[in-house]
Amino acid sequence: MKRALIALFGVATALAACGGNTGATNPSTGGSSIPTPPAASLTGAGATFPQPFYAAAFFAYNKRFSQVTVNYQAVGSGAGIQQLTKKTVDFGASDVPLKSSEADAMGGSDKVVQLAGTLGTESLAYNLQGVSDGQLKLTPETIAAIFLGKVKKWNDPALKGDNANVSLPDQDIRVVHRSDGSGTTYIFTDYLSSVSPDWSSKVGKGKSVSWPVGQGASGNAAVATTIKQTPGAIGYVELAYVLQTSMAQARLKNKDGNFVLPSAAGATAAAKEFASASPSQFSIVNAPGKDSAPISGYSWLMLYKDQADKTKGTATVDLFYWLVTDGQQYAGNLHYAKLPANMVSYDIAVLKDVMSGGATLLNVPS
Amino acid sequence: MGQGTADRVAPTPLVATSRQRRLISADRLFRAIAYSAAALIMVIAVIFVIALFIPALPAITKFGLGFFVSRNWDPVRIEFGALPAIYGTLVTSAIALVIAFPIGMGAALFLAEEARLRFLRGPLSFAIELLAGIPSVVIGLWAFFILTPLMRDNVDPFLNHTLGFLPFFQGTASGYGFLTAGVVLAIMVLPIMIALSRDVIRAVPQALREASLALGATNAETIWSVVLPYARVGITGAVLLSLGRALGETIAVTMVIGNRPEISGSLFSAGYTLPSVIANEFTEAVGNVYLGALFYLGLVLVVITVVVNVLARLLTWRFSGSEPTVA
Repeated sequence: MKRALIALFGVATALAACGGNTGATNPSTGGSSIPTPPAASLTGAGATFPQPFYAAAFFAYNKRFSQVTVNYQAVGSGAGIQQLTKKTVDFGASDVPLKSSEADAMGGSDKVVQLAGTLGTESLAYNLQGVSDGQLKLTPETIAAIFLGKVKKWNDPALKGDNANVSLPDQDIRVVHRSDGSGTTYIFTDYLSSVSPDWSSKVGKGKSVSWPVGQGASGNAAVATTIKQTPGAIGYVELAYVLQTSMAQARLKNKDGNFVLPSAAGATAAAKEFASASPSQFSIVNAPGKDSAPISGYSWLMLYKDQADKTKGTATVDLFYWLVTDGQQYAGNLHYAKLPANMVSYDIAVLKDVMSGGATLLNVPS
Repeated sequence: MGQGTADRVAPTPLVATSRQRRLISADRLFRAIAYSAAALIMVIAVIFVIALFIPALPAITKFGLGFFVSRNWDPVRIEFGALPAIYGTLVTSAIALVIAFPIGMGAALFLAEEARLRFLRGPLSFAIELLAGIPSVVIGLWAFFILTPLMRDNVDPFLNHTLGFLPFFQGTASGYGFLTAGVVLAIMVLPIMIALSRDVIRAVPQALREASLALGATNAETIWSVVLPYARVGITGAVLLSLGRALGETIAVTMVIGNRPEISGSLFSAGYTLPSVIANEFTEAVGNVYLGALFYLGLVLVVITVVVNVLARLLTWRFSGSEPTVA
């Protein structure tokens, strides 16, 4: 909710900056290459994680091209995929690309186009008296040990090693995780699986997992609030919630050995390291690079390759083309990261595969 | 009522007047509507169970009855068991009744029997209705922000200090868990319990009270040995309706129980309930078995509710020797 409001503010500011110029071409955003879409009303459904960004971006698109309205329902990735399978929506969105069984239900993976719509990163937020924002340093090993229940106290030697100058109390660690199925959980458990063989074999990765310790709260906001009001708590929270509620977050040791404070720029830096990222190789956690935020992930959009309705299909690919290029300017205000250039060109390439009656729908200079 | 009209009409003249014919056909129409309404309820109930059963089938065939005794809830390995959620549902509902029953009876007796302080009846009734009207998500918000820190810092340590020799009150408290959820449920079932019990107690014939008092019994003796035994069936019904509400409550419980599929003797521990699991996981439950397991949980919840109701009805029949009037 808070994010949605901030999203609207962000859009309002951006529009004010444009001086009310909502014409088809907009020199201030270099929009001459942005195709003008046909009139259409589009419906999408899926992940909650990118919803504030999509809401802000689709709102801005409608300001620019009033003939296109987009209704995005954040019903969850699973429900979004089901609705796309039943063709009750024009596009779906999921934090995790389609599994082969899900793609088969849509007629096979060659019938569906998947592209990255946005990029996000996660923080480890904590509530420790006397330990302020950014003071605590965590290594991948200690994060895994905490979430496996092996490190139970804040003054455990494993934590003290990296935090010699911080006075860690003799207090129980209270792990807080998401209780609802979520892409946030998928990215975090994907990270733990990649840094800890122990986690990988005992728990694994998924949108919901069997947590060895801790308590669950439903949604990013509830996890953040639970941490805020529980002394000794730690949990993984989407970056935006941490920044907006000014919680203390830990510096995370990335693959290059640097302790970084998670940021949108750090997520883009991490994503750049995976030049060949695609729906089949989508994991970008524990990235190399000195600035990389280690717990980052893409969020995906999906639509059918063969569009029965040419008008709607054209409007959808035009919208997505704008979203992955000019639309990325709305990411920063909401603490989403801009897509790296390699992913933008991947997205544009797959959008060109979308056809109707054998003809490519996207019409942009290559 | 329809039957009564027909009886009255039948014996009068051999040739029915047009008005009487109209009445008879109106009667038939009324009967048809009543019968189809009754049938519709049956059909809805049956369709409802079938609609739960069919999507649950993949999980039923995979886990069978082992679902009821398995403690596993692992979406990664697609292994599911309902025992922790069944345990959590029953434990939180039991806590709710243990807390709400004495308070509810006291308040109901005050409203129905106490002659002094009558001016308090209005405000108290109003407060009860207000409590009944608060949406559960609002109660959940209050519990999440106010009750959990209070439980963690005050109530739980006090219980641990005074009753810590009992296994229920051992361990450290985070504020989220069975006990907090039980307290929230108690608050939510109190209005139903008080309102129904009050009405039942008020319905006890005045003559019985007067007879008891005339025999020299005190007010308390009258309540204990005349009013309450007479109202027992109705009070059981009130408790059952409360239990029904407690078993199915979702959002407020989800916000404070800690959402952890684990069975723990300590009431301070985080747990899970059947409705909470469903509400938390259905949006991202991908795959037939996973989704099926959630529908299976739904079936289990329906079965528990039915069993509770049947047991209660048997109990009230045994005690009263007749069909219960309330519930």
